[in-house]
Amino acid sequence: MKAVVITGASSGIGFEIARLLSKNYFVIGIGRNENNCAHAKELIYSENPGAKIEYFIADLVQQKEVNRVAYEIQTYLENNDILELYGLINNAGCVRSWYTTSEEGYEQQFALNHLAGFLLTYRLLPLIIKAKGRIIMTGSQSHKGIKICWDDIMLRKRYNPLTAYKQSKLCNILFAKGLNDRFTSAGIRAYVVDPGLVRTDIGNKQAGFLVNLIWSIRKKYGVSPEIPAKTYEFLLETNPAPKGLYYCSCNEKTYSRQVTSENADRLFLLSEKLSGISYDRLEC
Amino acid sequence: MNVMITGASGGLGRVMVAECAERGYNLFITDINQAGLLSLKQGLERQFKVCVAAKACDLTKAESVDELMSFIDMHGIRFDMLINVAGIDYEGGFLSIDREKIIKIIALNNEATLRITHDILLRRRPGKRFTLIFVSSLASLYPMPLKATYAASKRFLLDFALALRHELKNKDVSVLTLCPGGLVTTKEAIRGISAQGFWGNATTNSLEIVARKTIGYALQGKSLYIPGLLNKILSLLGRLIPRSWAAALIYLRWSKAQVKWLR
Repeated sequence: MKAVVITGASSGIGFEIARLLSKNYFVIGIGRNENNCAHAKELIYSENPGAKIEYFIADLVQQKEVNRVAYEIQTYLENNDILELYGLINNAGCVRSWYTTSEEGYEQQFALNHLAGFLLTYRLLPLIIKAKGRIIMTGSQSHKGIKICWDDIMLRKRYNPLTAYKQSKLCNILFAKGLNDRFTSAGIRAYVVDPGLVRTDIGNKQAGFLVNLIWSIRKKYGVSPEIPAKTYEFLLETNPAPKGLYYCSCNEKTYSRQVTSENADRLFLLSEKLSGISYDRLEC
Repeated sequence: MNVMITGASGGLGRVMVAECAERGYNLFITDINQAGLLSLKQGLERQFKVCVAAKACDLTKAESVDELMSFIDMHGIRFDMLINVAGIDYEGGFLSIDREKIIKIIALNNEATLRITHDILLRRRPGKRFTLIFVSSLASLYPMPLKATYAASKRFLLDFALALRHELKNKDVSVLTLCPGGLVTTKEAIRGISAQGFWGNATTNSLEIVARKTIGYALQGKSLYIPGLLNKILSLLGRLIPRSWAAALIYLRWSKAQVKWLR
């Protein structure tokens, strides 16, 4: 049975992906809240008693938590004689009304929406390459109409929640592009899914009064998270691997002109520095 | 510029530290949370080209501070600025909080602040101007039922800082007191701000702006910084109306908010 790791898997889109994939995959979910994870696991078991699913608890905003959980997952897979990882879905994300930082002093939307996935992918990449697997980021249409603010990527000088969110989602596509530029030859593929407007609680969790209010109204018009989950399954299961980068409703979609190899390289360098890692020195 | 920051790995501390690093200052960061301190040091070194020294310390213990000072003396470090961020509050009315927690508020917010301020002032760089920053609170401006100990401890800092400013004026020391409204520093703080609804949101200040302006005003030699227009108006009102009235009004507001908050 192929194994898949999903971050932000206890609620929203991540949970629906876990639920859908648990029919055919060994699913490893990561969530921040122990109770929510236990509840999610219970729900999936109640529908499918034969499901293979395990949850790990980690607050991926903090880099040391990413490193810890990556190590725990590797050990867990080894102990269960699973020697490769077919899929990694970097889905965990947040919205913050105010400028807030991680323990490292990194702005939280950038830290969770981009850096956490960047570091987790690095830790698990040798296992993914073994499986010639696929890496999928949860992106957003909102990545368009913005450039990366290279001289102030944490937006300390001019923080705006929407700008920070949009920028982090542009980072997701740049990261996927950078991964494909570097590792397609090793047999892996990276994608970004635009889930569309989905009825989740992303704007209601520690987001702040105004974002909370706006999101509560806006999400009423969103679709159920089961719908975008199918696109993730499509990208994992279609063979040969789809050649595109950015998908919505199982179809390729156009993305921002900012998504160039030059910007992807620049983001790679910066993210490597901020995470204290180097993809070039990865032993696969 | 060599800067010492206490409570560095907390929400406000981290942003203050980043502001100083952005300005190219050398940093000595301390906090009771050793792991957080190391993460922060790593994050700073990856983002900025500055020199960062970090050492954990429990400022409420004299021996721990003595140890910190001998470390500083051993390395011959001398300072141009001290930012006193370390502070604590426990939510709930006086009788609903454990006795020792109440004492801890004073031990950290006041006693520990005096201890480190005294020691660092004795270790200022000779012949240079010294800048001293205290983090008080909007809560210092009136007596606050349900936050009585915290508000009084912040009042202590405000009065102490204003007095010390004059005492040290001809020693080329400038003293600034920061009195912010709500700051989005922890998950609890976010919950607290949300529980207060509109007013919580309106009196909340942006961390990164507060940090930038605090350092800027301190260097200009200002004595008091209350961020945000609404907070300035509230502080003015607090001075105009009798203190007992202010306390009664605040009790009305907080008793409602806290029920929601502590739920």
